[in-house]
Amino acid sequence: MRRLPAVKSRRVALASLQEIAGSLSEKYAPGKAVRTRVPEPGGNVGRKLNFSSALLSFSVLADSGLEHYRGSFQNRLMYLPLAVSAATLAASLFGIVDGRAKSHVVRDGLYGLAALTGATGLGFHGYNIVKRPGHLSWINLFYAAPVGAPVALLLAGVLGRVAERVRDDEASTLLGYPAGEVLGAVTSAGLAGTVAEAGLLHFRGAFQNPGMFLPVVVPPAAAGLLAMTLFRSGNVVRRAAKLGLGLTALLGFVGVGFHAYGVSRNMGGWRNWSQNILNGPPLPAPPSFTGLALAGLAALSLVERNKKAGFHD
Amino acid sequence: MWDESSPRAVNGRAPDVFRPGAWVPMREYPEDKAVDFAIVGTGAGGGTLACKLAEHGFSVVAFDAGPYWRPLEDFASDETHQSKLYWTDKRIVDGDNPLQLGANNSGKSVGGSTVHFAMVSLRFRPEWFKSRSKLGYAVDWPLDWREMWRYYSEVEQALKVSGPLRYPWGPARPRYPYRPHELNAAALVLAEGAEALGIDWTPTPLATLSAPRGLAHPCVYRGMCVIGCSTNAKQSVLVTWLPRALEAGAEIRDLAMVGSIEHDTAGLATGVHYQREGRWHFQRARNVVVAGYAIETPRLLLNSASARFPDGLANSSGLVGKNLMVQSNQAVWGVMDREIRSYKGPPSLAITEHWNYADDGKDFHGGYCYMSQGPLPIVWGTTQASKRGLWGQDLLNAMENYNHQVGLKIVGETLPQERNCVTLSDERDQYGLRIPRVTYAFCDNDKRLIAHSLRFMRQALEAVDAHDIWDEDDDTCHLNGTARMGDDPSSSVVNADCRCWDIPNLWICDGSVFPTVGGVNPSLTIEAIACRTADRIKAMARRGELSRS
Repeated sequence: MRRLPAVKSRRVALASLQEIAGSLSEKYAPGKAVRTRVPEPGGNVGRKLNFSSALLSFSVLADSGLEHYRGSFQNRLMYLPLAVSAATLAASLFGIVDGRAKSHVVRDGLYGLAALTGATGLGFHGYNIVKRPGHLSWINLFYAAPVGAPVALLLAGVLGRVAERVRDDEASTLLGYPAGEVLGAVTSAGLAGTVAEAGLLHFRGAFQNPGMFLPVVVPPAAAGLLAMTLFRSGNVVRRAAKLGLGLTALLGFVGVGFHAYGVSRNMGGWRNWSQNILNGPPLPAPPSFTGLALAGLAALSLVERNKKAGFHD
Repeated sequence: MWDESSPRAVNGRAPDVFRPGAWVPMREYPEDKAVDFAIVGTGAGGGTLACKLAEHGFSVVAFDAGPYWRPLEDFASDETHQSKLYWTDKRIVDGDNPLQLGANNSGKSVGGSTVHFAMVSLRFRPEWFKSRSKLGYAVDWPLDWREMWRYYSEVEQALKVSGPLRYPWGPARPRYPYRPHELNAAALVLAEGAEALGIDWTPTPLATLSAPRGLAHPCVYRGMCVIGCSTNAKQSVLVTWLPRALEAGAEIRDLAMVGSIEHDTAGLATGVHYQREGRWHFQRARNVVVAGYAIETPRLLLNSASARFPDGLANSSGLVGKNLMVQSNQAVWGVMDREIRSYKGPPSLAITEHWNYADDGKDFHGGYCYMSQGPLPIVWGTTQASKRGLWGQDLLNAMENYNHQVGLKIVGETLPQERNCVTLSDERDQYGLRIPRVTYAFCDNDKRLIAHSLRFMRQALEAVDAHDIWDEDDDTCHLNGTARMGDDPSSSVVNADCRCWDIPNLWICDGSVFPTVGGVNPSLTIEAIACRTADRIKAMARRGELSRS
């Protein structure tokens, strides 16, 4: 019995990856007939979103762990995102293995806490930037507390809350709007913010490797296409959005590889891992893209489900 | 183990500066066949010119008296060990303000003093190229700032200079190739002081990498930046222009001390006599370039005196060795309550050029910038003892504050004066060559500039609540002048193209050609002049205007 959750969670993760692969293969086989899919029940979409939250909170846990360690936990509050993202990660893993089509009060509460912590962190990081000499300037945006980082925790919380709502609400609405569209808008905005953060830091690195342009090209295209699906119906845009999101998800994995290579280019390379992991490009940062892209794919499947439901009515 | 006294660049190969123990192929030229250019010195002037001329298709042999280092394996993080990079051969200093020669004004290495320079890469204020006409002091350069602006950009690209996105002073400049480095606490003190006094400051444009570049690692902020950089982040001539020069077919002869320049009966240079591995050799050349910096360049010209040129080569104006200009390098130091650890990272991460560009509120001609500081422990201890006069328990107490001390230090303009000069003494060195005598005295204008800077920097430290503030009032850095360029053969040694008025196939390409020195570190300007000179030589060659010996 104890092994079951792990197997299940792996299955959900695999399903998400299969979806990426599916959207890719669809794109590269244009002659094939479009597969018609049975719309997913809310519980499945919710679990996908739990998976997105898990990736984002893992990214935050590892990244804030490294960066706040580097900052010697000078302010006691620097421990907070570690604790909260760890709890959010645990809640998300629980969500992934929880097959019941119902929200859970603990998960819901923790996701709320994550969102609140992310928003608070944004305030702290913003203050850290403007309090330095030079105030709101490039040098402080480059090297003071990264303004975009806490947003990842905020997004983990928001996506988690959406996951819980989608599980509960069979009609799948959020704040009175169709859930798929709200989620699509949130994900597009989240991608835009993450792109801004990657763009800023890659600009700091002078785009010295052409690969550094990838996260400022691929995810914005995906976010744009996802946003377009909110205003335009039609398979072409949706399939293009799926492809873009699939590539973005893939980029999150590939990015870790690029960053590992970046670490190797510092003095001493991986032999000097204890310093260079802190000094080089952050290994845990790119998976945020995967988390958000999977949320975007979940949003699209919600939209699809609503459309199907509407069609049958 | 290499004993650092036998040449490495021999047998068709030179040390690979990017890989421990490795080599790169190097073309070699026979001594008895004239090469297009024999270049004496491989620093900011000579090394840059060797690269550019080789890339323009000329045959080039560049000589350096110093060894050919591999930074990754030859540079220990130790101040005393690293004094091997300085030119510490015997010299005589005199005058009212005898100069301290060595650490911050010389280099004896392939790559010259850029191997240990502080990487500060600043452009001249445009008006300085016409300081007589526009600002009313000293002399004009024969160069136009707009042309120099283009060559500055070329050098900044070649060195991947990291700098701010917006430079607060002067005309617009293109974006620096790399972004600025993170500021250390010492730089933040400068910034806070500048903001308190209402003047601009900026992260300093530095020739050290803020991101990877090829096989060179980015800066790891370990400090030790005014000695050899053992990570290759420092974009010295050794790791930038010279690998390109070798690739383009230039030969570098390390541990090769040029003693004199030979000329024929027509008065044209025919080659150089140099000592390598204890023997004298002669390299034939169609053109000779002297790039030994402000002491060795006039020394070589004077040591090459002949029956035809009894006062030394290129010296019909009598100005070879004259108008030596140092830069004043005074500082104000203080102690902060909070920990600073100023030795972390490059020492001069923040700068203000306010007093280079402001013309009001001054009782002197010229300008100065000041930068944050990060002295290494031996230098700091020596400063406390020799400049501040502390000893015994007082010295120990002051050294206890090492992690809390901060300082602001100027690079200040001094005026050209003919009495400040390099001449030959009768003493001889290990090569049997007459050693230089270096005579220096500040003029009243220089002293007023220094006093102004000390007053202002004291205010800046007081504004950030530093205490135990004291003035270090007698330091100097960078040497320039001694073979100035100009438009008139009677008042200059070379023309705008660094070509000697007297001997058309003899060129001078280093800081000696500066008519004025400005209030910024000179290396970027020297490299820009070298790039321009190479382009001019290429154009002259195409028009058939190079003389042939």
